[in-house]
Order: sequence, then C-alpha cells, then structure tokens
Amino acid sequence: MNIIAHPKSRPDVVPVNPGVRSVRGALDSRFRGNDDRGVKAFWECGGLLSVAEQAFIGLITVVLTMHLVLPCIASGDGQFAGVFRIERINALVLSVVFGAAVLWYIAQARRGAKMYIRPIPGLSAVDEAVGRATEMGRPVVFIPGTGDLDEIQTIAGLSILGRVARVTARYNTPLRVPVLYPLPMAAAQETVREAYLDEGVEHQDPETVQYVAGESFSYSARVGGIMMRERPGAAIYMGLFTAESLLIAEVGQSTGAIQIAGTAAPDQLPFFIAACDYVLIGEELYAASAYLSGDPKILGSLKGQDLMKIVITVIVLAGVLAITFGQNPEWLTTIFEAK
Amino acid sequence: MKSRLPVLVAFISGALMILAFFGRGTVVDAVSDRALTWQTIVGGFSLLLGAVSIARVHWKKVATKHEDRLYSLCLLICFIVMGGSGVINGIGSGTLFDTLFQRIQAPMMSTMFSVLAFFIASAAYRAFRARSVSSAILLVAAVLVMLGRIPMGQYIYHGLPSWADWIMTVPSMAVQRGILIGAALGAASMSLRIILGIERTYLGRG
Amino acid sequence: MHGTAAMDVSGKSFWERLQSVDRRILYTLIFASVIIPILWPLHLPTPVTPESRAFFNAVDSLPSGSVVLFPFDFWPSTLPETEPMAVAGLRHCFRKNLRVVGLSNVGMGGPSIADRLLDSIGSEFHKTYGVDYVNLGYKANYSAVLLGMGSKIADIYPADHRGTRLDSIPLMRQVPNYDSVKFVLIVSDNAMTDYWVALVNARYGLPMVAGVTAIMAPKMLSYIQSHQLLGLLGGMKGAAEYEQLIDHSDKASRGMDAQSLIHFLIIAFIILGNFGFFMLRREQSQKGQN
Repeated sequence: MNIIAHPKSRPDVVPVNPGVRSVRGALDSRFRGNDDRGVKAFWECGGLLSVAEQAFIGLITVVLTMHLVLPCIASGDGQFAGVFRIERINALVLSVVFGAAVLWYIAQARRGAKMYIRPIPGLSAVDEAVGRATEMGRPVVFIPGTGDLDEIQTIAGLSILGRVARVTARYNTPLRVPVLYPLPMAAAQETVREAYLDEGVEHQDPETVQYVAGESFSYSARVGGIMMRERPGAAIYMGLFTAESLLIAEVGQSTGAIQIAGTAAPDQLPFFIAACDYVLIGEELYAASAYLSGDPKILGSLKGQDLMKIVITVIVLAGVLAITFGQNPEWLTTIFEAK
Repeated sequence: MKSRLPVLVAFISGALMILAFFGRGTVVDAVSDRALTWQTIVGGFSLLLGAVSIARVHWKKVATKHEDRLYSLCLLICFIVMGGSGVINGIGSGTLFDTLFQRIQAPMMSTMFSVLAFFIASAAYRAFRARSVSSAILLVAAVLVMLGRIPMGQYIYHGLPSWADWIMTVPSMAVQRGILIGAALGAASMSLRIILGIERTYLGRG
Repeated sequence: MHGTAAMDVSGKSFWERLQSVDRRILYTLIFASVIIPILWPLHLPTPVTPESRAFFNAVDSLPSGSVVLFPFDFWPSTLPETEPMAVAGLRHCFRKNLRVVGLSNVGMGGPSIADRLLDSIGSEFHKTYGVDYVNLGYKANYSAVLLGMGSKIADIYPADHRGTRLDSIPLMRQVPNYDSVKFVLIVSDNAMTDYWVALVNARYGLPMVAGVTAIMAPKMLSYIQSHQLLGLLGGMKGAAEYEQLIDHSDKASRGMDAQSLIHFLIIAFIILGNFGFFMLRREQSQKGQN
C-alpha cells in the first residue's frame, strides 16, 4: 500500500547529501551491530552476584515459598484447587507453552543459531531521520508514547529512545523528549543519561527530558508549542497513543519534520499513517529493540513469539472451518476464555 | 549491584504478579494487594518528581531571562495558584480548585480536543490519494463509511448504512483483531524478556 | 486546462497548488460547516445502528428498582461527545426507576461531572440523593477499585463523594458488592472500557453496555461480537441515536447536523484532492510525451 508520501517526494524535505550518508553509515553500525555490551539475563547473573545478593535472592525465595505456598495449602481444603485458580488453567497452559517457546529459541540463539528478522522500513528510517536533523542543525523530538510506565508500549518506546539518544549524543544533535507522566520522565532521563555516558558525553541539558503535564490534551498543546518553536528535523513517536496522536503528528507534519511513528493501539494507526512518513504497526514496535540491537537473545524471543502466532492462527482456522461445516466446537472458545 | 538491582526487582515483582494471578489464598491476595498499594504510593511520589521537574525547568527560564520567560512565569503562577488552592481548600465540588478546573482548564482541554476535527480534515485531504489499487480501495471504503455514518447517507442510497456497518464489523474488525493478536503476543514476549532481565534497554543499557 | 496556462508566479500549476492547499483555507471551511447548522438547524433524522438499539434494549429490559453501576470514566476534554451519552443514559435509567450508583476512575473532573449530571437529571425526575442515586466519586488505582468492589464496595469507598459514610446511605446499604448490581452502563473516553470488560465482565459476569468516543468505537465492536458488551454508543452519532430512542432530543441531535456537513466537506476535500492528483499526473505525462 502506498498511501504514505515518501519523504523524498515532499518539496520541504532536503535531499540527503553524501555527508549525511557517511553519518548514516556510522549510524548503521551503531544500530545494527551485535551490541551486546555485556548485558546478562537474570539466570546468567549467578556467577556475577555477590554473596550478599545471592543471600538476598535466597531469602526472598524462602519467604515467598513459606508465606505463599504453605498457608495457601493450609487455607484450602487440602486439594490443589485450594492453591491454584483452576478456572485459569487455560491461561496457565498458554503462558507455559508461550514462555517455553520463547526460552527455547533464546537458548538456540545463545548456542549460535542464526536468527533472521525481516527489514522494518520504519526502523531503517530512524537513522535517516536523525541524520537529516543533524545535517540541518535541528533537534530531534522523541515521544515515548502517552502511557505511564506500567504500559509495556512505553517501555518499548524507551528502548528505542536509548538508541536514538546515543546517536544524538554522538553527533551533538539536540534531543527533546517531552513526557506525559513523571515515572516515564525518570526512566527517560536515566535512559538518555546512560546513552550519553556510553558515548562519552556528560549530559547536562535539563530540557532534554521534560515532564510536561499529566493530561493528554495539555500535553499535546505543549508538544505542539515545542514543535512550532524549535522546528525539529525529525520527530519520532513510539509507544501508546490515544486521541492526541493526530494533534501531535499533524503539527509535526506542518513543520516539515520527517516523522516516524510506532504504536500497538489500532485505533490510532490511521492517524499516524495519514500524518507520518513511516509507521511501525502493532508488534513491530515490540520487535524494534531486537531489530536495533541485533541481540540474538532478543531475536530468539521474536521467533518464539512467531511460533505462538502460528499456533493461534491454526486454532482460529480450525474454529472457522468447524463453524463453516456446521460444528460448534465450544471447547475451542474456552481455550481463550478469560476468567 | 546498582545495575543488577533493577533486574532483580523486575523479576521478583513480575513473579509475584504471576503467582497472584494464578494462585489463590489469603496470603497471595494480601501480598498482591500490598504490592498494588506500594505501586499506588510510588505513583503518588512520582507526581512530586514531575512537579519538581516542571518548576525547576521553568524557574530556570525565568531566572536566566530566556526569551520564553513570560510563558514560564505564567505557568509558575498557575502552578502555584492551582496547587495552593488544592492543598488549602481541597479539591471537592465547589472548591476554588474545582471551579478553576471546571471553568478554565476543562474548556481549554475541550478546545484542544475540538482541534482534532480540523486536523482530521487536513490529514484526510493530504493523505487520501488513489496512488495505487490498494490505496484506492482504502479511499472508497473511507468514503462509504463516512457517508453511511451520517443521516444524509441513507438519502443518497438506503443501503449505505448497512454497507458502512459491514465494512466496520467485517474487514476492519478482522484487521484490527490481527493487529491486536500480534501486538498482544509482542507485549507478552517483551514482558517475559523484561522479567527475565534479557531486555534492559529501558534502563538505558542496551 | 493546460499546465502552462495555469502557472502562477511561483511556477506551480493550478493542479500542483491544489495538492498543497493552505490548511487555513480548509480550517475556515470546517469552521463554517460547524457554525452554519448551529445557527440554522437542518433537523436531519439519524438512522439507528443495531449497536445503539441493542444498548437501548439492554437498559430498557431491566426491571424497575434494579441497581445500575454508572462509571463516568471520561475527562472534561471529551464532554461534547460523552456528556450527551451520560445524560441520555441517566434519563433512561431514571425514567425506568432504576437506581444509579455513579463513580469515576478519572480523578481530574470525573467526580464533579458525575455530581453535576446526577443532580441535574435526578432533579428532572424528582429523584432523591442517597435513595435513588449516589455518587461514590474517585479512587486511585482502577484495577484495585474494579476488583475490590466485587468483594466489598465499602472497603474501596468507605464514604461517597460528599464524605457521607456508605453505611449511612440507604441505597448503598442494599448494595454491598457486585452481587446486588444488575447492570453496568459505562461512559468512557479511554481504556477504562477495556478494563471493565476484562476485569468485571470476565470475572463477575456483570452485563454491561458502553458509550465511547467515535475514535474508540471501531475497536469496541469486537466486544459486541463476543457479547462482552451488550450494546455500544459510538461518539456523538451514537448519543444522537440514543436520544432518538428515548424520545428526548438534546445536544447530540443538534450536533449531528454539523457532523453531517463536516463529513460531506471532508468527502468533498478527498474528491477534489484526487481530481487534482489525476489531473496533475495527466499534465505530467503530457509534458513527458512532449
């Protein structure tokens, strides 16, 4: 589908010159490289943990076991149902299958199995957008959605912010991150500070990450103001968005910024598609950190997720076929029934 | 320890919530309720973080005579008046805070919401171009839905409302479900990565 | 029209300029199409969708005296869309002699709006606060609130929005938890509808309907198909349909004239933009041939 105007077709977009291409090349290596940086998963921390930390984990485990499991058994009728919400067995089975698939592929990836991730145009455009802003001497505006930190899309947005901040730090491009809630502000500040430190830059600009307002329309007004005054070269929106999506993206479009959006909120996708140059749809947002880091462990988890998608598709198809041929397989619907 | 502690906290909190979802019993409920209460308390303190941040940034602008200092001064005055009235008189119906909110803040918020109508029009004008077969299909579907959803639609053709309903409840819903299922799995996978400490980019490490 | 004949000083042809019309012109036309029908109403009838009719039927079939939980889960910013739904919902409930327990999961403005609407529509039907309706107000942490009310409402709301203890309110003495609630009528402009469905309908089986903003409505249709919501009002149009069904035209019905005109205007914009697009392509291909 080609309803999105490509930036190069827009008269207000400056063509990318060879200088920026070199910047982009450098960005590519930053984004695509297998940039593990010694990150260890929880189960890998064993040898690295101090005695105090191991004791802490052990204590928590013992306390949880004693306080959760034993009294639960005692409080029930001695049966398993006294401990476990048996009506949620379907959710447990699905979670275990899903978790096992993800962990299996992560283990495969750690053993060196090759993992492929299809190109995501919106993410490939992130470096082009930051490169363009760098060349024009304009800031990059990044919005990690308008959800709080308990929203998983916000965390996905912050993951992408870390990558963008590294690049802006490297090329001394001003970065603006207006946030709607205080907790994402604290997380975004930390993300940006760490990214700048990684690039050997002491981050001191208090205006980079700003808490703006606790209400989305007040927030939109402020973001619109930032856009109109600072006229960013690139605007990146990654996370949960609600009714304010078009208010922000349309103002960004009017300033001529390259706009890249990503959200898993289906009701806001049409607005982003109309106003932005590139859009990450649904799960592409969650795949972004894997795509950008190239970390095989995270890529492995994507493969596990795909396996689960195939399972669900098969079940849905089975249900459709059964109903088409006059059957009513209620047991199929109970698999996904929430209780 | 500094870098590992957040991973441990994420793991323990995640495991606790999973236990609370599947487990039953007074202790499970008590522990998960306590965790939710902690979350509320931390959330309350985080508001303080936001308030301090906003005051600091704008106070700096006023103190350094930034070109936008008048806006910042206006914000600080409103901040003090709203916050002060809430602390002194409370925020119930009929209080100064409530009056300021209902008479000033609410209409301003509605104004921002109403701007959407203008932006939707300009975005539709710019974006809906029949550049290819698929975008032409999208365009025709959009026009049918818009016509079918307004009173005049049925005068143009009596079947338009049912066409619009069909587009919304069959193809549109099928696509949305597909996106939602994919997004839900993506979210679950990411949650698992966070709980297990594989995904730590949100901590600034990646 | 030939390209060169229509060139302006900037060197752009008429069709090229049509592709990038100054958005202020579009905004002026939109503004006019809102104002004109407000000054001179067209009184267009609104066809009723099956979802709105199902909404009406679900409320209408409740026995007199039933307790309805009425969450006012919307911000003041969306009042033009959500208030008419809430008003029509309250009118329908009070006309049917249903008892309404209002609450809000939106801290800023939600409880005040609930208070204002409950009092004004309650007085229209000579209802008494505490007997026929009550406003519980706002409590933080929606998931804890929604789940906690299933066990004991007084644990979550020890007092109502006015500070009166629940055990002193006659209506609330008869409603200790969800077991005494027959129905939930949600009016929402945010994800709270999803939480009511996922936490309360799924776990406690309470039947519910929802009135949501037009932007949210397409997503909510999936709950209708899965029967987790019995009916749905989408945006101002949904509110206008409901007003028509309860036979009491109000703000939403008046607003539908403007909405119809704006839809037509946007369709006209799209047709004009595409006509210009095709003419430009033709012009460019002719230039290429020359």
